[in-house]
Order: sequence, then C-alpha cells, then structure tokens
Amino acid sequence: MTVAAPAREQTRARYPDEEGFIERDGVRSYYEVYGSGETTVLLLPTWSIVHSRHWKAQIPYLARHARVVTFDGRGNGRSDRPVGVAAYLEDEFAADALAVMAATDTERATLVGLSCGAIFATLLAADHPERVDGIVYIGPAVGLAPGHPERQVYAFDEEYDTDEGWAKYNSHFWSRSYREFLEFFFAQCFSEPHSTKQIEDAVGWGLETDPETLADTCRAIGLCRLERFRETCARVRCPALVIHGDDDRIRPHAQGAALAEATGAKLVTLEGVGHMPHARHPVKVNLLLRDFIQGHA
Amino acid sequence: MIVAASARDQTRARYPEAEGYIERDAVRVFYEVYGDAATTFLLFPTSPISHARVWKAQIPYLSRHFRVMTFDPRGNGRSDRPETAEAYSYWEYMKDGRDILEATGTETALLGGICDGGGWALMLAATHPAAALGVAAIAPCVPRLTPAHPNYRRYPSHVPLETDEGWAKCNVHYWRRDYPGFLEFFFSQQLPEPHSTKQIEDCVQWGLDGGPESLILCDEEAPVPFATEEDARALVGRVRCPVLVVHGELDGCQTRERAEAVVELTGGTLSALDGAGHLPQARHPVKVNGLLHEFADSIVPPKPKVKTWTRALSRRRRALYISSPIGLGHARRDVAIAQELRKLHPDLEIDWLAQHPVTKVLEAQGERIHPASAQLANESAHIESESAEHDLHCFQAIRRMDEILVANFMLFHDIVREEPYDLWIGDEAWEVDYFLHENPELKSAAYVWLTDFVGWLPMPDGGEREVFLTADYNAEMIEHIARFPRIRDRAVFVGNPEDIVPDSFGPELPAIRDWTEQHYDFAGYVTGFEPVADREKLRHELGYGPREQVCIVTVGGSGVGADLLHRVIAAFPEAKERVPDLRMIVVAGPRIDPAGLPQHEGLELHAYVHDLYRHLAACDLAVVQGGLTTGMELTANRRPFLFFPLRHHFEQNFHVRRRLERYGAGRLMDFGSDGPSEIAAAISEEIGRAVDYRPVERDGAARAAALIAELL
Repeated sequence: MTVAAPAREQTRARYPDEEGFIERDGVRSYYEVYGSGETTVLLLPTWSIVHSRHWKAQIPYLARHARVVTFDGRGNGRSDRPVGVAAYLEDEFAADALAVMAATDTERATLVGLSCGAIFATLLAADHPERVDGIVYIGPAVGLAPGHPERQVYAFDEEYDTDEGWAKYNSHFWSRSYREFLEFFFAQCFSEPHSTKQIEDAVGWGLETDPETLADTCRAIGLCRLERFRETCARVRCPALVIHGDDDRIRPHAQGAALAEATGAKLVTLEGVGHMPHARHPVKVNLLLRDFIQGHA
Repeated sequence: MIVAASARDQTRARYPEAEGYIERDAVRVFYEVYGDAATTFLLFPTSPISHARVWKAQIPYLSRHFRVMTFDPRGNGRSDRPETAEAYSYWEYMKDGRDILEATGTETALLGGICDGGGWALMLAATHPAAALGVAAIAPCVPRLTPAHPNYRRYPSHVPLETDEGWAKCNVHYWRRDYPGFLEFFFSQQLPEPHSTKQIEDCVQWGLDGGPESLILCDEEAPVPFATEEDARALVGRVRCPVLVVHGELDGCQTRERAEAVVELTGGTLSALDGAGHLPQARHPVKVNGLLHEFADSIVPPKPKVKTWTRALSRRRRALYISSPIGLGHARRDVAIAQELRKLHPDLEIDWLAQHPVTKVLEAQGERIHPASAQLANESAHIESESAEHDLHCFQAIRRMDEILVANFMLFHDIVREEPYDLWIGDEAWEVDYFLHENPELKSAAYVWLTDFVGWLPMPDGGEREVFLTADYNAEMIEHIARFPRIRDRAVFVGNPEDIVPDSFGPELPAIRDWTEQHYDFAGYVTGFEPVADREKLRHELGYGPREQVCIVTVGGSGVGADLLHRVIAAFPEAKERVPDLRMIVVAGPRIDPAGLPQHEGLELHAYVHDLYRHLAACDLAVVQGGLTTGMELTANRRPFLFFPLRHHFEQNFHVRRRLERYGAGRLMDFGSDGPSEIAAAISEEIGRAVDYRPVERDGAARAAALIAELL
C-alpha cells in the first residue's frame, strides 16, 4: 500500500489559545493550551513515532468542557530531537510534563496517556500525587503481562535476512525503508477495517521525525525495568480508567487488564478494536473521557 | 371530575425487607427499608397530606442500586397522629429522619425529599452534616425563605370564606367540610400535566389515609421553623453537601424563586423540568429516577467494574424480545415469530425479557432468557390479585399496575443501556411502549410493537367515569404516536383489519379501525402451531373412542376460573342425560386444586393435562373463558366451543368477541345469566357439530417476521 500523506497540516477544528516551549537541559518541547476552566486535562505524549496531533479528535471536544494542555514529546513535532538514548528515558518525558504544567500554571490535571504514555502518567501520579486528579490509560504499553509472541522474534539492532512482518521493527530496516516500516506499524495499530485515513495521518506524523531519532527512543523504552514499574503502580492512589481494545496488535489487552488490577482502575474493553481507539473510535473514547473527567476532577 | 379512588392497596413492585417504628416523645413513626446496598438513600415524605407511597415509582428502581428507606409522616400512613401542633413542627420531621438513620445503624445517607420533605432533608443536612452525603430535593419547601406561592396568597386559610371556588378550598373550614373535595382540587392543580388521572387518584387516596386534622395541625398551627427570611437563609446556607433541586415549571405549590434560592445558598444544581408540575416523581418517574441515580453516582461513584463496548461493525446481530406475561397466548406466538425471524436472519441472537408463565414456554423451546428477567416485578400475580368471581376488570387492573410497569421499564432501561441490541420487540410490552413515548430520548435501537387489540373500551356499568378514563388513555396513546412517530419503527397488529372493533377511541376521538389501519401493519393471526392434519389418528392416540363425545372444560392457567369450573360441573348430570356418550374432562390448571371441585360419577377431573392443545384439537366440544388464544386455537382446529368472557374484561367482551364473530366461531355464553340448565342445553346442541368457521391463516408468524426483519 502506498500512503500519500500530505505534508501540509490539514485544517484544524480548533487552534490553541496559547502555545509555547519549555526547555530542560537545553532540550525544548512545544506545548499547546486550549480553552479555560478550573479542570485541566493533560494529553500526554506517547512514543515519539507520533506527536500531539494524534489527539486531534479529542482536543476540540474536551476543550469545550475543560482546559486542555498537550505537548509534542521530545523527538517529534515541534519539539527538539536530542541525540542519544539517555534523552528519551521515561523520567525525561515525565519531567517535561511537569515543566509544561509549571509553564502553563497547571496546579493539577487529569492525565491521559496512550501506549507508552501510560508509563509517564504512572510515574507522575506515583511521585506527584498532589498534581494528578486521575489517569486515563489507552492501550497501555506496560510490561505487567507478556507481549505478543510475534514481536519477540527479532531483536531491534540485529541484522536479519527477512523483512517479513515484525522483522521490520529493526533499526537496519528503518535506515533502508523507514516509510515502509511506518506503514506496516500503523496498519498493525489500526487493525479495524476502513482505517485508511487514520493510517495516513499517523504515517505522516512518523515521517516528521527520522529513523535515527526514533531508534534512540526505541532503545530507551527497552530500558524500562518491570520491578520498578510494579512498585510505581502500587503507589498510584488517584482514580484511573483503562481503555483497551481486545484486538490490540501492539500491546495485548492483558497488559491493560493487569494495569487496571495493579492500579485499582476501572477497565473498559473495546471489542473488535485496535491500539489507537481514540483515533479510530473518537466518539466513544471522547464520551468515556468526559464521563471520567466529570466523575473525578 | 369525579375521582373514584379504591381503598384497597394495590400490588407493589417491591416490598420492604425490613420495617419498624421509631418513637420520640410517645409519637411513633413507621419506616421501611428496601435492599441492602452499601449506600443508603433516605426518602423524606411530604406533609401529612400524603405518605411514603409518593415514592412508589422510585423505590423499586433505587433499591436495585441503593439501600432505600422511607417513612410515613406523623399524621398519615402507619405513623401516629399526635394531637398537638408542636408535634408537627418541621424540626420534629427532621428529627424523625435523623432517628430513623440512627435506628437502622445508618451513619450517613443520601437524602431525598419532596416539598416539605425537601425542606426537612435540607435541615437535617444543615444541622447534622455528617449524616448527609447529599440532598436531592424535589420542589423543596423552606418556609419564609421566599414568599409563598401566589396560590396560597389568594385567600386566608383560617377565616371562613363565602366561596369554595378554586384556591378558596385551601382553607381549614373547607377541609373540615369536604376533605376529598379539597384533595381532588389540590392534586389536580399539582398534577397539571394532561393524562394524570391515575396519579391524581393515588394522591387523593393517600390524602384520605390521613385526614384534615393532622394537616391543619401541620400546615396551619405548628410553630414556623424560621422566624424570618434571614433565619431560613442562614439555615440553608449551612448545607455543605452537594444539593440537587428538581423544579417543575408548572409547580402550583412551590415557586421557581424558592428553588433558585436553595440552589444559590447551597451551591447546588437546579434541574428544571419544563411542562411538569409539583410531583414529577409520580408523573415523570423515569426522568426523576435517572436524575436521582446520576446525582447519587456523582457523590458516591460506583465501584470500578469491567465494561465492554464493541465496535459497531464487530457487533453480532441481537434482538431483545419482551413478551407480556398477561395471557399465556403471547409466549407461543412470540416463539413462532422468533423462529421465522431466524429463518430470515440466521445470525440473529435473541434474548428474552420475560417472566412466568412465558418463561416456561421459552425454556421448553431452549430460548435464551435474559438473566435480569428474574428481577422483573410479577405482573401475572398482580392480575390474579385483581380478579374476583369470573370477573377481572382488566382496564383497572392494568392501571393499578402502574408501579410494576415503571419498575419493569427501569429494569429494561438498565439492560439496554449496558448491552447494545439492534432491535427491541415488545409484544404488548405496555411499559416499554408507554415510557419510550414519555421519554423519547431513551430510544437507542429499532423498536417493534406488537398487539392483538387496539383501544381501551369502557364496560357499560363503569358509567361516565370509565368512558372518560378509557378515552383519556386512548387520547394519550394517540398523541404519543402523533408526536413521536419515530418511536415505533413497526406497529404490527396480530390479526386483520376486519378483526377490529367498530367502536371509536372515545368522544371526539377517531374510529379505532380507521386509526389502526393508518398506523399499523397487519400480520394476520399467529397461532404458533400447525393445525392437526389427521384428527381421527390423534383421537386414537389420546385414547378417545370413536363414539365418545369428548367435552373438555378448561380455564387455562389462570386462577380466575374456579367459578366457571363449578358452574360447568353443575351442568354435567343434565348434559350427560341429554348426551349419553358424553365424556367430560375438566382441567383445573396449575392454580386450582381439583380436590376442591365437586365429583360426579363419570366426570374426569385433572390438575394438568400434557399437551392440552392436542386434546382441544381432538375434542368434540370445549368450554372455555373468553381469552383470545384458546378461542383462536379452537377456531384454527375447527372445534365447536362455548366461551364465557370474564366479566368486566373489556378485551374478552369486545375485542376477542368481535374477532370470533368474524371467524364465525364459538358460541357466546354469559356467566351472569347462563345456569347449569342453559349450559347443558348448549352442550347438547353444540357437541360434535360440524362447523363452517372462516379458515385461520397459517402464515401470520412469517408475515410478522418479514415486517420485523426489514429493520435488521
């Protein structure tokens, strides 16, 4: 499949009321603020294969009910692309989130995190409980349950003589055919039929970074230690909601279920749904988010 | 308007798990406890003008989610009627609520209240903050907080007046003279919504359960709780818990200004109901139940639970079939329609929301009964409790089922909110049809309504009142359909246009047949079985000799039939003389003990006969009540029969009779005038007679299914 992603950003339904950069250790991250109100929702970054535009179906809706803050994770969008694995450890993303909260005068917020964003959200809630009203996890990428076996076959930095399937999740393949990897990966993310536009969008966002930067983020994720994460989960006290598709081919539903168990969260299972329900089923996810925010903020 | 309220307590949808009295200063106050959930909802009553039954439409629903407590106000219901004005002060009612919490070991609760009860709940929350998680006040009355409603300022309440017109009835002298007249006036004002007859009747009856003296002490002579507006404002301002105020814009008792003052002082929320009066919990129970539940959830969030949502195109095709338990006939025809529907949509999954005796038929057919069916309030037991000697006032029985209908609609609503169905099918599911039209925003699937009669009809001895009531019910239905044609995606009449009675819906209302032809599709009759092909073979199998004249007497599964059985048994000796080969078999059914029936030589008495329909197909004569199913079954099998419509049963006396006439089937009998001799003569004339009935169509189920299938 050839994806013809337009380079020009498409018309937004709503533009930010405020934007700016925070800077930590020379790394600048770009943030946006929408709407106003006593309640703030912080839409966290995820793996830097995409940037904050992946929340585009949530922002216009949520901003009519709450103040919405989001930012591009380092490595993509309008944020810097520091070099080296250390710049992309989960603590850096969590610290960026705190810096964005400080820059936007956000005392407390409800956190929403997709996939890897789950780790950042959990760190923030455990270490700064006074800043977090609640967490919504979407398709959380957490090692509390085994990953998909087909993703365990190939190592990221080894060279293989096949490009089949998950063999594409490989730094050497990326240097050769980065775009092809993105197309494969997002086709896996959107396992639902009729997802062409969502896949095109995501591939376009992936192309806004480069394979070398993305490889650093990828190696950093590999350094997350499970024992430490379990201990972190146990310290989460705020209300939480896990939304997980049962056809999530990136992160098995069992990981979401385990996270719900570990944090005392309510679990909403989406049947027939893949890894990015907020993009593919925005109405359902928006309503779940609103119910959660109204119930707990 | 004359209100003929019945003193007999009607069947409740749910009865309390515990009840008791608290006593303070020698005044006893009666309370009830429903359910055992962790969170308690204490519902304050109104002044002694009514009692705890004002919450009847809330209790069954809320008690599935909360522990619900109600009490009768001192001065009405099962509580004492103290004789001093001091005993009726607002503070005493507030303390009654407090003492009930204490007596039941309840540390803290959600508080609900209507009118004065709303004021008492707010006072409890203000003075005992630990006891109140939140206050939901419907039309709250807090004296002195704002000027009283203009209705109460028209006439002095203590001075004898020259007139009894209108609000002049709100006067202690009039109360002592004509309390029912006051109650009828007052509640007609407080339930200004059209078609509120049943709610008004209820309220008048609850008022009569008390009496004018307690109301005078409470409303007119008890010490006022607040000396000034400032005192009232200060008290309400002390409420710290969340507050919800529900205000009907047509309220004739409490003003919007007062509702807004409570909201302003407590930082609460106002939910205004447009077009609603003072008692929305009675007239708009589904809406109010939802508001109360949402309010409670916002304070005490429900425990986390696993929920599933299925992507639209991943969903299996599913239907929820709601089959009325009133009249056994629905079960078999609904199964037949479901089977035909599956032929058209083999992947269709059907869940049944049904109760005994429908579930018995469904289980035998291997159908899936939705587990929540077990929580349905029992309709058949109610109908039975409403019947007397061969007598069932079907229209009043259904009116007096209003509490059960709300409770069962709420259960339906809880189910369909959690589980997506493509289609809801309601076979005479009155609660679903009525409350969907009353709450059109709750419709979230295609919906099919099935019935075999249209139009409530008055019985001749019901007089003008019944003419008015049936017309009022018909008019509301006609308005519902005209205003919200999108609710019923299909309305299927189980029968043909010619089956429809020649009557009108009432004075100045359309002819039933014209209207029904415009608003329904016609499926033809649905028997739910294939007529017997070889009757001689069947007789042989059942052990009936070729010369025997077999007469089967049955009253189906109802408990209403014992009187008819006695009457027919009394005719047996004479009938046997007239028909020497007569073999009479009396089937008492599950609810009548055959041992209690008289015995005669040669007469066979059975509690139960397996596959009764086969015996009816094989017999030479049947003697039955006037129910549609049995009559049409005999018609389809071309058997002679005598039928006795139940007295006051408008459906049997008008609708079924009309249909049987059209098929030329059966011989109409009259329980009032036909004694044993007349019955014996009719038996001898009819038994074994060759009939020329109009053939009953066999494709009704398939036609109904085809109409429904288009929606899937």
